[in-house]
Amino acid sequence: MAAQPKPLPVHQPSYLEGGGVLGWLTTIDHKRVAVMYAVTALVFMALGGLEAMAIRAQLWSPDTHVLSAATYNAFFTMHGTTMIFLVVMPLLLGFMGNFLIPLQIGARDVAFPRLNALSFWMALIAGILLHLGWIRGGLPDAGWFGYANLTERYFSPGLALDWWVVGLLVSGTSTVLTGLNFFTTIIAMRAPGMTYMRMPMFIWSLLVTSILILIAFPPLTIGLIFLLFDRFFDTHFYIVSAGATPILWQHLFWLFGHPEVYIMALPAFGIISEVVPTHSRKPLFGYPMMAYSIVLIAFLSYGVWGHHMFATGMGPVADSAFAITSMLIAIPTGVKIFSWIGTIWGGSLRMTTAFYFALGMILEFTIGGLSGVMHASAPVDLQQTDSYFVVAHFHYVLFGGSMFAILSGFYYWWPKITGTMLSEKLGKWQFWLTIIGFNATFFPMHYLGMWGMPRRIYTYGADMGWTHLNQFETVGAFILGLGFLLMYINIFRSLAVGEKAPNDPWDGRSLEWSIPSPPPAYNFATIPQVRGRDAWWIIKYGRAGSRGVAAYMAAQASPSDQSFDAARIHMPAPSIFPLVMSLAIGLMGLGLIIDWYRIIVIGAVATILSIIGMSFEYPGFGEESHDPEHAPSAGGIDVRKIGVWSFIGSECVFFASLISTFIVYKSRSIGGPGPEILNIPLTSLSTFILLMSSLLMVLALAAAQRGDQRWEKIWLAGTISFGLIFLGGQVYEFTSFYNEGMGLTTNLFSQSFFVLVGFHGAHVAIGVLWLSVLLGAAMLGKLGKSRALSLELAGLYWHFVDVVWIVIFTLVYLMQTVKGA
Amino acid sequence: MIRIRSAARFASLAAIALAGCASASDKPMTTLSPKSDLAQWIYRLFIQVTLWDALIFAIVVVAFILALFVFSTRVGEAGPASTAASDLTLEVAWTLGPALVLLMISIPTVRTIFRTQGEHAPEGALEIRVIAHQWWWDFQYPDGIKTANELHLPSGRSVRLHLESDDIIHSFWVPQLGGKRDLVPGQVNQITLVANTPGMYPGQCAEFCGLSHANMRFRVFVDSPADFATWQTSQLAGPVSVPPDRQLVMDGARIFANSPCTTCHTIQGVSRGYIGPELTHFGSRSTLAAGVLANTPDNVAKWITDPNEIKPGANMPPLLLAGPKRDALVAYLESLK
Amino acid sequence: MSEISAAHDVHDPANQPGTTTYLIIAAFLLVLTAMEVTVFYVHALRPVLVPVLIVLSGAKFALVAMFYMHLKYDGWLLSGVFAFPLFIATILLLSLIGLFGYLAHHGAPNPELNAPRNASLSWKSLASTPAYRSASPR
Repeated sequence: MAAQPKPLPVHQPSYLEGGGVLGWLTTIDHKRVAVMYAVTALVFMALGGLEAMAIRAQLWSPDTHVLSAATYNAFFTMHGTTMIFLVVMPLLLGFMGNFLIPLQIGARDVAFPRLNALSFWMALIAGILLHLGWIRGGLPDAGWFGYANLTERYFSPGLALDWWVVGLLVSGTSTVLTGLNFFTTIIAMRAPGMTYMRMPMFIWSLLVTSILILIAFPPLTIGLIFLLFDRFFDTHFYIVSAGATPILWQHLFWLFGHPEVYIMALPAFGIISEVVPTHSRKPLFGYPMMAYSIVLIAFLSYGVWGHHMFATGMGPVADSAFAITSMLIAIPTGVKIFSWIGTIWGGSLRMTTAFYFALGMILEFTIGGLSGVMHASAPVDLQQTDSYFVVAHFHYVLFGGSMFAILSGFYYWWPKITGTMLSEKLGKWQFWLTIIGFNATFFPMHYLGMWGMPRRIYTYGADMGWTHLNQFETVGAFILGLGFLLMYINIFRSLAVGEKAPNDPWDGRSLEWSIPSPPPAYNFATIPQVRGRDAWWIIKYGRAGSRGVAAYMAAQASPSDQSFDAARIHMPAPSIFPLVMSLAIGLMGLGLIIDWYRIIVIGAVATILSIIGMSFEYPGFGEESHDPEHAPSAGGIDVRKIGVWSFIGSECVFFASLISTFIVYKSRSIGGPGPEILNIPLTSLSTFILLMSSLLMVLALAAAQRGDQRWEKIWLAGTISFGLIFLGGQVYEFTSFYNEGMGLTTNLFSQSFFVLVGFHGAHVAIGVLWLSVLLGAAMLGKLGKSRALSLELAGLYWHFVDVVWIVIFTLVYLMQTVKGA
Repeated sequence: MIRIRSAARFASLAAIALAGCASASDKPMTTLSPKSDLAQWIYRLFIQVTLWDALIFAIVVVAFILALFVFSTRVGEAGPASTAASDLTLEVAWTLGPALVLLMISIPTVRTIFRTQGEHAPEGALEIRVIAHQWWWDFQYPDGIKTANELHLPSGRSVRLHLESDDIIHSFWVPQLGGKRDLVPGQVNQITLVANTPGMYPGQCAEFCGLSHANMRFRVFVDSPADFATWQTSQLAGPVSVPPDRQLVMDGARIFANSPCTTCHTIQGVSRGYIGPELTHFGSRSTLAAGVLANTPDNVAKWITDPNEIKPGANMPPLLLAGPKRDALVAYLESLK
Repeated sequence: MSEISAAHDVHDPANQPGTTTYLIIAAFLLVLTAMEVTVFYVHALRPVLVPVLIVLSGAKFALVAMFYMHLKYDGWLLSGVFAFPLFIATILLLSLIGLFGYLAHHGAPNPELNAPRNASLSWKSLASTPAYRSASPR
C-alpha cells in the first residue's frame, strides 16, 4: 500500500554528532548513555567469555593444569558475576532499554536524564571495583551467589570478597536507580494516545522489569550490608557462634536472585516479541495474554525463591509450597512460547540474522524452561541442584534465552543505533557457530549432571566416566567463542565500511522506525500521536484517523512546519555531576577496602557536593528541566512525584528485610542484653515528636501551596527541629545502651537492632538535610507557590520515614516481650 | 537445518532412559541407577516429569516447524501475511493444557516430598552422625565407631543420617543412594533411606565450600548385613597391636607417636587429636585424602610429603620426613587395619 | 492560631485536605500511640498484645499514608505504587518468620541423638571474626 518512507529532506544532526570527549563524559542523552553501556558491556563480555573458555580448558581432562584451584574458583565466580551484573543486565536494560524506551513510547528522553547518566557511571565504577582484585587482593572466589558463611573473613581472608561486596552494592544501587527511572518514564511519558494496551511488548516487559528491580534489589542490598558489617565492623550476621545462621543470606539472596532471573528474562521476552512480529509482518499474536503473562510471571517470581534452597532443609510444607508456585510460572511462560509461534504462523517471513536468533531463542529457551519444571519438582531437584544439570538449565535460560534475545535485538536495532548495517553474511555465520557451539557446550551438561558431576569443581575423578563429554563441551565452547569473535568483527566492519542504514530497514511496526537512523538528539521533532498498537505500522499502512506517512514525515522533518523548531525543543543541558559523583562513590568504596580513611572522607565530601551541585545546577531549583507537557501520560502528576513514590515502594521492601532479620535474630541471640533493655517511655516520647513533625510538615506544605512564605518557613523550621530532637533522642538512647554494655557487636539482638534502627535514623538524618536545603531555598525566596512541589516531595519522604517508625516502634519496642521466630 | 537439529535433540532426550540403564558400571555417580528406596522414588518422579516435558517439547517443536516451514511464506513471495492476532480457543487451550500437565506433576511431587522427609527416624533405624569439614567427612556410629571419608551401611535396614557441619555449608550427595542434603553449621538435617543393593557408591560434596571443594569426596559401602556385622566387629576391636616382628612398622609407630601428627589425628591408644580424620583403622580404607587417592603406600608417602600439592588449601602441614623414616611411617599407617 | 483557621479552605485545591483535617489526624495519631503504650503496660492485655498492637499501628500507618501523604486524594496510580511493594514486603516478612520458625524447631541439634557428642566437632564455624581477623588460617 503505502510507499517506504523517503529519506528526510532536511539534515537533522544525529545524537552521535558533536560534543567531543567532554560531550560524552557529560552527556545525559539516553541514547549516548545507552551506547556507553553497550561499549562497557561488550568489553566485560569479552572478559567473561575468556574466563569461561579458560574454565572449559581446565575441565578438558581430569589431569589438566591450565588453571590452579584458586584461579579456577575465581574465574567461575567472576564469570557468573560479570555475565549477570556487567553484561546481560547492562545490555538489556542500560543499553537496549535506555535506547528504546523513549523511542518506542514517543518521548524525547527518560524521566530523569541525569539520574540515568549517574546509573551508567556507577555501573561502570562497580565493574571496575569488581575487577580491582586483579591488581590487589585477588579476584572474588566464593561463587556468584557468595554463600555465607564461606564469605566471612575467617574463611575468606584478604580483599577478594571485599571488592565483591562493595562492587555489588554499587552495582545494585545503580540498577535500582535505573529501575526507578524506567518505571517513571514508561508511566508518565508515553506519547498521546499510547494507552497501556497500545504499548509495544518490549515496553510492557521493561515496565514490569523495573517494578521487579525496585522490589527485588533491596533484599540483596540488605544481605550485602550485613556481610559488609561482618567483614568490616566485626558483627556476626552469618556467624554461627552468635546464634546466627548462614541460611539468612540464602533467603535474602534468593529473594533477590530469583526475580533477578526474570529481570534478565522478561526484557528478552520483550525483544523477541518485537523481532518476531516485524519479521513475520503480522501483529503480535495474543497481545493481551502476552501482557498479562508478563505481569503474572513477575508476580509469581517473587514467591519461588525457595526452590534454590530445597537441599537446605526447609521442611516438607515449605518445599511443597515453593514447588507448586515454581511450577505455576511455567503456565504464563508457555503462553509466551505458543504466542510467538502463533505470530510466525501464517506470516510473511523475512529471514534475517535477527530473526534467526529469535527463532533460536524460542527453541533453546523452551528447553531451559522444561528443565526448569524438573527443578520445580523438589525431590527431582535434590538430584539435580548443584550438579551440571543445573548449569545446563540456567545456561539454556540465560544464554539460550537472554543472550540469544540480546543478539537478536542487537542485529535488529543496530541500524537504528549507528546508522550503518551489520553484515548479514557474517551474522548468519555467527548464528550457526553460536547455535552449534552453544548446544555442543551445554546440552551434554544435562548428561554430566545426571551422571553425578557436581558444579564448581576444578578437577574430577578419572573413573567417573565424565571425561569424554567434558572434552566435547570444551570444543563446543571454543566454537561458541569463535561465533562471538565474528560478532566483534562484524561490529568493527560495520562501523568502518558498513552500508548506510535506511530509517526503516525491516519494515518495522513501532515508533523508533519512524525517525532517522541514527536519531537526532531530540528523537522526535514532533511528538507523535498514537492511534493504536503498532503505531508506526498504522501510520504507514493506514487505518481510519491516521494521516499517513507523508504527513507524519512532514511533521518530523519540515522546518517550515509550525510545530517544528529545533531551537524550541528544550533538551536538558549536559552535566558533569553524574560522573563526579560516581567517582566519589567509587573512592569511598576503595578507601573502605584498602583501609585508607582519607580517601573515604574525600569521596564522601565530593558526593555531598555533587548532590548539592546537582540541586542548583538548573535554574529551576531542584528540578529536572522538563516541561510538564513532556509527560503526557502522567495524568497531571509530576514525574518527580512518581519517582519519589517508586523509591518509597522500594524502601518498603528494604525495611521489611531489615525488620524480618531483627525479628528472626531477636530470638536466636545468645548472651548479653535482650529486648528488655529498650526504653519505652523515651521512645514513646520520640514517637510523639516524630508524629508531630509530620503534622508540621503538612502544615508547611499547605502554607507553601497557598503562597504563605512566612508560615511555610516557620513550619519547615519546626519540622527540622523536631527531626533533630528525634535524632538527639536516638543518640541518647544508643549512648545509654553502650554504657549499659550493649555495643554493635555484643550479640545478635544488639547488631540487628542497631542496624535496623540506625538505618532508620540515617533516613531521618537525610530527611533533615533535605529539608534544610529546602529551608535555605525558602530563605532565599526560591521556594514560592509554584515550587511547592519540591516541598511536597521532601514531605512524602519525611512521612514515609515516619510510617516506618510507626512500624518499628510497634514491632521492635512494644512487642519486645513477644518471642520472635 | 533447524528441522534436523530439533529432531536430533528430541531423539537425544528420548535416549535418557537408555543412557541410564547402560551406564551404572562406568558412571559410578549416575543418578539414573537408583540403589535405595529414596533414590528410587526420586528416579520414578524424574522419569515422570521427563516424559511430560518430552511431550510438551514435541508439541512445541512440531508447532514451530509447521509455523516456520509449512504455514508461512517468505517476504516477497505471493500473498500478504495473515493478520490474525488472537484466537480465544487456542489461547485457552495453551493455558489450560500446561496447567493440567503441571497438576499431574505436582501431585506425585508433593507426595514424594512428604514421603521422603519423615519427622522421625523409622523404627530400628541405624542413626549415624555425618560431620562435614573443609574438606573431609567424619562419620560417627551410635556404638562409638568413628571413621572418615568411608561410610559403611547395612543393606536392607533403615538408615538415618544426621548431617552437621563443622565450618561452612557443604552438601552430602551419593547420587545412586538419593538426592542432596546440605550440611549447615548450627543446624541438623536428615536423610532417611534404605540401601538395597550391596556395593560401593562414590559421593562428593555438592555445595561449593572453598578452595578444595573438588577434592571433598567420599565412598559409601553398602554391605550385606553379615558383612556389615563383620566390619563393625573389626572397627570396634580398637587399634591393632603392632606386630613385634616387623621392625619397619615398629619404627613407624614410634615416629608417629613423637610427631606433630598426634595433635590432629586420633589413633586409639596412641593419640587423641580431633582436628583431622580418625586414623585408628586407616589401613582398612580404600582411599585417602577424602576419596582423592587410592590408599597405596606410594600415595600415602606422596600425601604426607606435601598435602597441598594434592589438596590445595588443606590444613595438614607437610611432614618434613624423607627416606627410610617416611617409609616406616607409611608402613605403620598401612598396618592399621 | 487564627492563621490556621483563616487559611483553611480558602487556598486549598478542592481535592486537598485542609488544616483542620491535618489537626484531627494528628489528634488521632496521638491517641492511638497513647493506646499502644497503654496496652503495653497493662498486663491483663498481654494475651492479645500482638493483634491489638497490629491493629493500632496499622491504623496509624494508614492515617499518615492516606492523609499526610495524600494517597486518599492522589488517585489510584500512586496508591498502587505504594501498596504493591507494601504487600510484597508483608509477604516477605511473614514468610521469613515462618521459615525461620520452622528451622528453629526442626533444624536445631538434637540432644537425644545417641551418638557420642564428643570433641570431634571443633566448631570452626563458631569462630567469631575479631580474634581471627588478622590471622590467616591457611
